[in-house]
Amino acid sequence: MCEANVYLHRDGQEELLMESVDRIIPGEDNQIFMENIFGERRVVKARIREMELVRHRVILEAVPEEPVQRHTEIWLEPETAHGHFHPGEAVIIKLNKGYNMQADSQAELKDPKAYIVKPEGTRELELHAHHNQGEINLTEEIDGLAQIYVHEKGEQERYAAVLVEVGHHHHHGTQPIGLPLEIIPTDYSHARMGENYEIQVLKNGIPLAGAEVKATYSSTKNRDYPHHLTTDETGRAKLFLTARGNYLFSVTDENIISTFTLVKSF
Amino acid sequence: MCKDMPPLEKAIQFHGHICPGLLMGVRAAEFAQKYLDIDPDQDEELLAVVETNSCGVDAIQSILGCTFGKGNLIFKDYGKNVYTIASREKRRAVRIAQKYKPQSHPDSLRYRELKRKDSLNEAESAEAENLLGAIFERLMSTPFEELFTWRDIDFSFPAKAEIYPTVQCSVCGEGVMEPRAIRNGQNYVCPDCV
Repeated sequence: MCEANVYLHRDGQEELLMESVDRIIPGEDNQIFMENIFGERRVVKARIREMELVRHRVILEAVPEEPVQRHTEIWLEPETAHGHFHPGEAVIIKLNKGYNMQADSQAELKDPKAYIVKPEGTRELELHAHHNQGEINLTEEIDGLAQIYVHEKGEQERYAAVLVEVGHHHHHGTQPIGLPLEIIPTDYSHARMGENYEIQVLKNGIPLAGAEVKATYSSTKNRDYPHHLTTDETGRAKLFLTARGNYLFSVTDENIISTFTLVKSF
Repeated sequence: MCKDMPPLEKAIQFHGHICPGLLMGVRAAEFAQKYLDIDPDQDEELLAVVETNSCGVDAIQSILGCTFGKGNLIFKDYGKNVYTIASREKRRAVRIAQKYKPQSHPDSLRYRELKRKDSLNEAESAEAENLLGAIFERLMSTPFEELFTWRDIDFSFPAKAEIYPTVQCSVCGEGVMEPRAIRNGQNYVCPDCV
């Protein structure tokens, strides 16, 4: 007999999880996959505490869930189903406040200001904000690609940026807006599912290495951000896009939270 | 519909959701397109013989344009993830077969286990979503030769799909394609009424 019984150690007690286990595979994020000789399978969030091989016992212990650090953030989402607007369509951008692309009904927008960045300069836009949502109407403003950002001042400085596209264009090498903390795409041109997407974090225009960038998408069922990336020495990080809808990247440094919404092409 | 819709998106829109089977079909369809140097089918320039009726076939239909309705998708009910793609213009055909793997990846096993459940709680829904993301990345990033084998084959091209006259069934009164109807003296009977 070479199988083992797997137990979960909790509060000084051992609970039998599975008998006659012949495969144990530790996975990412403290997941342990196990399968027994009867073909039963189970995945638990735990780590191995002890293996008593002579007694055919494997003892796991539960990994405590880390409390979710929820810093309320703001983000922008264009009202389009497939990543860009067509000429003549109403170009509406929604401003949200919450976390992980889930609006927080308790949150209040505090006098946010919206801006459009064009080669000839930056100009303030009209923003209608109410409660935890705002709206910017850009129908008369854009032809091609435009960078939009919102700034909410306070003890916690919040920024939200997005690239808005009207028509079918291909764009490379987006210039930074020049925010104290910002996320920019390193090569914006029709980001698509099934491809890697690279962003760069800049602090006062200088690449920020070792920064944690969280990433999520609008359809997520995760309570917390499903992706956590770390920027390399050039401030860059990559994510393989696997979800439909828009993605949100978020970075925090000192008292600034800055988000960038990636609007996918379809 | 917007121009430049990427093949993956076409397949997802056609199939309705993302799943591992569809993604394998996307890999096969994209490979066939490159290998045979072909554009998506317009009017039966291509022909696909599929040996399964599972999700991957929808990628073949939506990306290569070989569809059930056009008659250039031939289904053989063999239960095998094998796709033969043929080009009339190039006079070439490639048979693409998914490699047999005796052991599934733990992510895939767990994903299937969750999908078999009637309903998922919040944690399980998030787990299924994260597993699908990991499977998605793995399937789209794995070298093609690790997933499939392929070979050129001799292929005898059938005639293009014919358009037949419609006759009236003498029992139900509905129209029926003539070669499918049974002749009963001067009358026709459709297969449903026989």
